[in-house]
Amino acid sequence: MFIKVAALACGSMLASSATSADQPALSLHVTGQFAKAPVTLDRAALDDLSAVTIETSTVITDGTHSFTGFLMRDLLDHLGATGTSVTAVALNDYSVEIPMVDFYDYDVVVATHMDGKALRRADKGPFWIVYPRDDHRVLQDIRFDYRWVWQLYQLDVQ
Amino acid sequence: MTNSHTPTLRLILPLAAVVVFAMLLTFSLIRMFEIENAMRVDAEQNMLWVLHQSEVAALRLSETVALADLGEATRDDLSLRFDLLVSRFVLLNDGPQRRFLEHTGFGDDLDRLSATLDSIAPMIAEFAPGDGAPLRVELAPFPRLFGRAANAAMMAEWDELGGRLETYRDQLRQIIASLIGIMMAGGILAVILVLALRQTRQRNRMLRRERDFSALLVSSSGEGILAVDQSTRCTMWNSAMTQLLETSGEDAVNQPLDRIAGFFDTTPVREGIKSALQGETSRHMLQPLFRKDADEPLYVDLRFFPMRNEEDILGAILFINDASDRYAVQQKDAQDRDRLEYLVAERTRELDDALLRERSAGEIYRNFAAMISHQFRTPLAVADSALQRLIRRGLHAKPDEVVERADRARNAIAGLTRLVESTLDAARLDAGQMGARRVECDLGEIIRTVCARQRETTPTSKIDLRFDIAGSVAAFCDPAHAEHILENLLSNGIKYAAPETSVSVVLHADAQWLFCDVSNTGHSIPENERARIFDRNYRGANSVGVVGTGIGLFMARALARLQGGDVTLQPDVAGVTFRMTLLRFKGGQT
Repeated sequence: MFIKVAALACGSMLASSATSADQPALSLHVTGQFAKAPVTLDRAALDDLSAVTIETSTVITDGTHSFTGFLMRDLLDHLGATGTSVTAVALNDYSVEIPMVDFYDYDVVVATHMDGKALRRADKGPFWIVYPRDDHRVLQDIRFDYRWVWQLYQLDVQ
Repeated sequence: MTNSHTPTLRLILPLAAVVVFAMLLTFSLIRMFEIENAMRVDAEQNMLWVLHQSEVAALRLSETVALADLGEATRDDLSLRFDLLVSRFVLLNDGPQRRFLEHTGFGDDLDRLSATLDSIAPMIAEFAPGDGAPLRVELAPFPRLFGRAANAAMMAEWDELGGRLETYRDQLRQIIASLIGIMMAGGILAVILVLALRQTRQRNRMLRRERDFSALLVSSSGEGILAVDQSTRCTMWNSAMTQLLETSGEDAVNQPLDRIAGFFDTTPVREGIKSALQGETSRHMLQPLFRKDADEPLYVDLRFFPMRNEEDILGAILFINDASDRYAVQQKDAQDRDRLEYLVAERTRELDDALLRERSAGEIYRNFAAMISHQFRTPLAVADSALQRLIRRGLHAKPDEVVERADRARNAIAGLTRLVESTLDAARLDAGQMGARRVECDLGEIIRTVCARQRETTPTSKIDLRFDIAGSVAAFCDPAHAEHILENLLSNGIKYAAPETSVSVVLHADAQWLFCDVSNTGHSIPENERARIFDRNYRGANSVGVVGTGIGLFMARALARLQGGDVTLQPDVAGVTFRMTLLRFKGGQT
């Protein structure tokens, strides 16, 4: 039943952005040392950030894929959040501390769509941190690979 | 043999070392690139972690099912845990992960569990407390499979890692061996380099010593030495050169040669330099070298040599040696020689003249009797005839007649005396001891005297005397010579005249000359004799049977020429005409 609901949510999101407000599943918790913290950003708030799409390969899939979402640094700038690192936490309690410079050195995307399809929780959704791996040779390294957090739901800015 | 082999060996060893060095270096680099590439590509698989996370997700779902059974977990919790497990399956079924599992033999197990997962999805969605037991039974194989797969993954990864490390070790060992080889090759090269350096330094030292010695030789040489390059620009100029040309080395070096001194622009220097630059050696002896502010030139010997390096001609060297002393000696020798030659020639000429005179004197003496017979007989005959008449007349002679006869005899004797003097003069002339005593004299009188005397000598002969001249008949001549000439011509004319014909004597003149033509109507003289008739002792064909010595015409012409005149044979018109030519007296002549 929940699966079905999630699937429906995805379908409606693809069909029209007007129905996106009806999806409580899409929310990102941001905590840390900034004025509005803690804050939970819903779909409407995230839609305000300009959408970006990057093409890249990943270490866990074949071929290249297009990822659509928003830039991590746009989100941090939007919140006025500053610090040295961001701890990203996934639904399965996987957590990684990512240096802040990554987001300013590279166009690190918080993807909501892969190849035009919304990411589902039963796959890599709702959010997947994607590095532009193919554009920078230095990013083709296992020390960057573990920063590709999927099923992201919380960021802690330190 | 060893000498020709050693350089080749010396070259082969470093070359081989360099080749080995380069090959080993290339090999090591290729190996290292391979390792670098392998490390980048293969270090990204992390199946152990993926399977561990999957196992955790399965266990968490079982746990949540149990809690939900007890009512301690919500349906949302259950849904989340289920979605997380589903997401693991999505991951495991994706490209690289799926291939790994198939490779380790878990592909079918994965498919079966995927099907199980699909089948339990409705049970999760419609879960109610108490539904847990069958669900847990369904979920029980999941952790087991993931555990077994993790085991296999661990072993596979370790096998793979071990293999890869072994490969790396092999490659590193090869690289280490290569590096040792490189070090050895480098060591050999370093030793060769040190040896070569030492040898080079030794050679340099030798070269420097030789160069210093050459420089010492050049600078201390008394000879001027200069060198030029291919563009005839001066490259060396020694101190002797400075003294020779009064130009210092600073002013000369690096200057074009023809700009240093005019001497270098002269043809011998230019040609010498040119041929030296073409590789030929040349020398020019005793060339004059004019220096600034010096009246007398130096005389120098120039020697040109090409300056070579192997086959190339780098320039030319010119040695200049001051040979003025030698030149002076040579000049003096030449002068002495010239003077000696002149003296010898002078003496030879004198001797020749003396010999000639001696011969002439001999000739004259030999012909003296002939001359007497020819020339002296006529006056003797006249005197004899006059004296005979006087004797014949004896006492019958009247005083006037005696005087007349005696005068005639005396005149003849006087003529004879003159003739003797003249003959002696002629002898002296022949001997080169005599000239003509030219004075003003009346040629008309002389002609008349000679004619009168001739008539006395040969009373039968007829002489037509004619003066085709107006005014003075004064000649500038020696009267004795003139008389002698005329007598000769007249007696000849009569002697060779046809019988019963007359001999004509005609005096005429032009502005400068007096001409006395003596003509007869005798046999003309053949063409082949005309040129020789004046030669000494020559007698023509028509003189056969006529008394004579052949000296008369020779003497006549010689005497005429002695006083600036001449005796010539005129072209035949009618008979034979001899012409005596004498200068007219103009006054003031000497």
